[in-house]
Amino acid sequence: MIKELEKISLEIEKDLKDLDIPQLKKKYLSKDGTLQKLFKNIKDVKPNQKAEYGKTLNTLKVIIEEKINDSQREKSEVEDNKKIDSTAPFDINSSKEKRPHILDLKGSSHPLMQELDKMLDIFQRMGFNILESRQIDDDFHMFESLNFPKGHPARDMYDTFWTEEGFVLPAHTSTMQNRALRRFGPPPIRVVLPGRCFRNEATDASHEHTFYQIEGIYVDKGVSMGHMQAVIKEYLSQYLETELEVKMQPAYFPFTEPDIEFVIGCPFCKKVGCCVCGYTGWIELMGCGMIHPNVLSSGGIDPQEYSGFAWGVGLDRLTLIRKGIKDIRKLRDGDINFLRQF
Amino acid sequence: MKLPLNSIKQFSECKLDLEKILNNISTKIGAIEGYTKYSEIYEGIYIAQIVKKEQHENADKLAVYEITIGENENIQVVAGDISLREGDKVAYIKPGYIVPSTYGSSQEIKIKAVNMRGITSNGMLCSEKELNIGSNHTQVLVLDTDANVGETFGKYFDFDDVVIDIENKALTNRGDLFGIIGLARELSAAQGIAFESPPWYKNDVIDIDFGNDKLPIKVNNRISNLCPRYMCVTIDNVKIDKSPVWLQSLLLRSGFKPINNIVDIINYIAILTGQPLHAFDYDKLVKGDPNSNNKAHLTVRLANDGEKIHTLDNALIELTENNLIIADSTNPIAIAGVIGGIDTQIDENTTKVIIESATFDRFSIRKSSMELGIFTEAVTRYTRGQDPNYCLPNLLKTISLIKELTQGDIASDLVDIYPNPKPSEVITIDINKLNIHLGINLSREDISKILKDLEYQINENSKEIEFLTVTPPKFRTDLYIQEDIYEDIARVYGYENIVSRLPLIEIKPTTLNKNLHLKKEIRNILSNSGCNEVNTYSFTSSDLIQKSNQDPNLAYHIKNSLSPELSLMRVSLLSSLLEKAQLNTAQNISPFCIYEFNIPHQKGYTDNFALPKEQWHLSMFFSSNENLLEGNPYYQIKRYFEKIVNTLKIPQLRYDLISESTQLELPIWIKNILPTFNKDSAVLIKYFKDDKDIILGVMGNIDSNVKKNFKLPQYCAGLEINIEELSKLLFKNYKYIPISKYPSIWQDITFIVSKDTKYQDIVNTVKQLIDSKNRHCKVECLDIYQKETETKNITLRVTIEHNTKTLTYKEFEKIKRKLETKINSV
Repeated sequence: MIKELEKISLEIEKDLKDLDIPQLKKKYLSKDGTLQKLFKNIKDVKPNQKAEYGKTLNTLKVIIEEKINDSQREKSEVEDNKKIDSTAPFDINSSKEKRPHILDLKGSSHPLMQELDKMLDIFQRMGFNILESRQIDDDFHMFESLNFPKGHPARDMYDTFWTEEGFVLPAHTSTMQNRALRRFGPPPIRVVLPGRCFRNEATDASHEHTFYQIEGIYVDKGVSMGHMQAVIKEYLSQYLETELEVKMQPAYFPFTEPDIEFVIGCPFCKKVGCCVCGYTGWIELMGCGMIHPNVLSSGGIDPQEYSGFAWGVGLDRLTLIRKGIKDIRKLRDGDINFLRQF
Repeated sequence: MKLPLNSIKQFSECKLDLEKILNNISTKIGAIEGYTKYSEIYEGIYIAQIVKKEQHENADKLAVYEITIGENENIQVVAGDISLREGDKVAYIKPGYIVPSTYGSSQEIKIKAVNMRGITSNGMLCSEKELNIGSNHTQVLVLDTDANVGETFGKYFDFDDVVIDIENKALTNRGDLFGIIGLARELSAAQGIAFESPPWYKNDVIDIDFGNDKLPIKVNNRISNLCPRYMCVTIDNVKIDKSPVWLQSLLLRSGFKPINNIVDIINYIAILTGQPLHAFDYDKLVKGDPNSNNKAHLTVRLANDGEKIHTLDNALIELTENNLIIADSTNPIAIAGVIGGIDTQIDENTTKVIIESATFDRFSIRKSSMELGIFTEAVTRYTRGQDPNYCLPNLLKTISLIKELTQGDIASDLVDIYPNPKPSEVITIDINKLNIHLGINLSREDISKILKDLEYQINENSKEIEFLTVTPPKFRTDLYIQEDIYEDIARVYGYENIVSRLPLIEIKPTTLNKNLHLKKEIRNILSNSGCNEVNTYSFTSSDLIQKSNQDPNLAYHIKNSLSPELSLMRVSLLSSLLEKAQLNTAQNISPFCIYEFNIPHQKGYTDNFALPKEQWHLSMFFSSNENLLEGNPYYQIKRYFEKIVNTLKIPQLRYDLISESTQLELPIWIKNILPTFNKDSAVLIKYFKDDKDIILGVMGNIDSNVKKNFKLPQYCAGLEINIEELSKLLFKNYKYIPISKYPSIWQDITFIVSKDTKYQDIVNTVKQLIDSKNRHCKVECLDIYQKETETKNITLRVTIEHNTKTLTYKEFEKIKRKLETKINSV
């Protein structure tokens, strides 16, 4: 039996040169082709030769398949190298039903973008402008203009990526505060600043080095912490579609004074305790505070005359909670089966 | 920062109800990470005394002890430590309770009554290690003779306490809150109780006799801008020993390891006040100094590059000129404010110590710590800011404790190098502004009360009613302007008392963000056309860029990247889509069309501020590995693109084959992505405006090598366009063209043209010939067929309407003949 294979192998070698692709397919790979027959014969092979027989047969099959694949690739490369008429609506000689058309597939926008749209809609209804954030910035905007002097330990709170060229990848959308104050000033200034941010931290089911944040700033005469609490509460209630209980707790950020951690009563369990709030009934949702006078000054606003507040909220966590996604990495792994659900 | 609750008793009268304290801390001071009830950890452990000792009859290495915990019956315990004697007092765990060193871990050990080689052991006698108060694990810890038999170990060791862990992050600017006194003050004020620092802490006069200078120290501060104050003193005849139980206990609860009485006292002062101090062994310092002349020299200076120091944790550290150090006359002996050197370490033979009490520039300390990768309790405290005015009281308190606990004597003058004493800040608060800013309504008296509770000095002489002039306490290094003080007032008054009030605004409309609006419209079009939006990383690798036939040299490099795969900023979106397409293709998903909006970056492509130019792009990728579509895949991606531009009513664009376009003067990002495409079946998308070609982007068939690199099917195509350029082409207002009330007339016409004739040219010719003031045509392509090698047949359905009459068949025939003559001759 093995002998027979040797004979066939020589024959294949010759046929690879002489026969064209359809002939090769027919002779060897079709239902009643040579190789198929030989595969069936394996039951008659002596037990101690079975392994070798099968292996050799497989090798021969692969050789033929490769030849066929190569020739298909070559053929399409030839076609690729043909100049097309770029102005035409379809290629020459294409059959009517196989011409380009919009396919009936399940399309979707990205879940993060759906949530972002929802949030931005609320802010627009509340009279806020929108300015999108940068993705590569400089030390001045990321730190200095926000009252982080060089060498300040508060810089360590932000695990920042730096480029070899000396630029910084924003670790928060506050990197846009200075620009927003300048662009939309003089007050009243109401603007939200959505954008992609980066933190140098290892990725797991609940941590990502890349995330989405929305910064908001509000500057006018006589703006107070009472206004801050009301505006943030109002927009969160709109977003989460429920009346919320909120509280403000102390925190530390160099660019606000006072600095606040904004906490909401968990809307998912009505404060009874659930996995979303870590069974505490409360969710620490975001940082906010009254804008530091130095930040206003560096944005060209007179802190004697005006005051304002700012906040920054992460979008990823809210998206996960609202859409019931357990692993944050699903948001950016590009899996179409995941995307088509939205 | 760990706060042992009992420790604040000695400083404040505030009530110690745990719930209330936790609430006060989290709402008025900073977020709580957690808290530990020590009494639970040490439950079931009692002070026992050994009544009788016997050798274990079946084991040489075991002893059988009969112990008492003050109850009627004695208890029999077998132990591996055979060195204990009758009368010794030890810590004993009852069966059913947990070994403290394993408490809360995944391998908790619960003591059971067990048979040890024939003899029952009813519990266990503990080593230091098992009690989690030291490292010795071979011997049972013998307690002081004055320990009360039968008392709980928790009570004996001052462990009936709760330790609250407050997030360091929340205290970043508050060096004073890294001391128990500081936290006691805050807690006191939070409950409306006035706080007064202990007298020794407020002391700024020298009240100890520095009689002689027999062990003098020569201090040279060469860099007073980084070391505002340096104080030290020598103490002789110290007896190094273990610290008393109360001190060991407090250190342990505060997260410090007890070492010996000198080191423990120094750490104790840091725990109380936030200011770290340091101790050097005087003899070792003098002996180790090559140029000492039998005197102690201390020099504060920056290190020389390459100087080395052996640190207390037994590491050899190479220093740079960024590192502030303490040196003897010649060599480094400590990294200032970071960690001491092993060569001048206090050990059991030490008799003379130098105590250092100094402050260093917080930024310099942080730089050294980050650069050398050394993070100590001292670094944590110094980088939060310590005030030089407290060097003196803290040193005096240290000296008095050393005298008390080690019988030492002062043996030098008090060295104090403080060239520029820090003046007190005086800050005036505008009461009206404060109330507006916080949205509250506090009187001058309310504010005074809160600030006095926090030990601010109020300038009572000022006659102002609308203002309040105050001197913040010196230990606060975070107060410069009145807004800084607003926070103290708001915190203590209570954020929960601030009333929510929506602001009133003018109803002026905001400006539309055109880019954002356009992206939203395109997103709608594409997601309604079966395309899926992805969101991919901005990070990429050199390998991925090269696989896409693009130039990795254009990419910005991340200095501190997480991995080589994430070390560059991507230069195009398309390469990210190719990578995702590969993953989905491997999952046998076909056909699919994915798209993304994002910002790629290219080096050398900068904006007016010399920052990398950031423009929003749209990239799409279509793939099908079934025999679903025929012809060049260019036409499929073009179909999607035209769906967008037609919906948005963007005027006619030009599609120039890459192989037929000049590549001079192309923007960097376009040049970079061209090689990803097949040059004979992909195009530059252009429009003509203000006498020049503006390039929107590139679209078409993917280069065959790129397809191979990403293992993509033959039938795939992509595009990348600049959204900001596209938004410039949007019509402001599209005007209606009236529809004729007369019926239109149509016919299919086949033109035979040369194979190189462009479809668009024919359509344009048809339109030119037919369209006039009252006549309009619509053209639809029915077929493009090539049989001969040099010609092709294009069949168009031409529909004509006229505004003022019904066209006759005859008239159409005339037009048709004209068209055929004109076009077939092309």
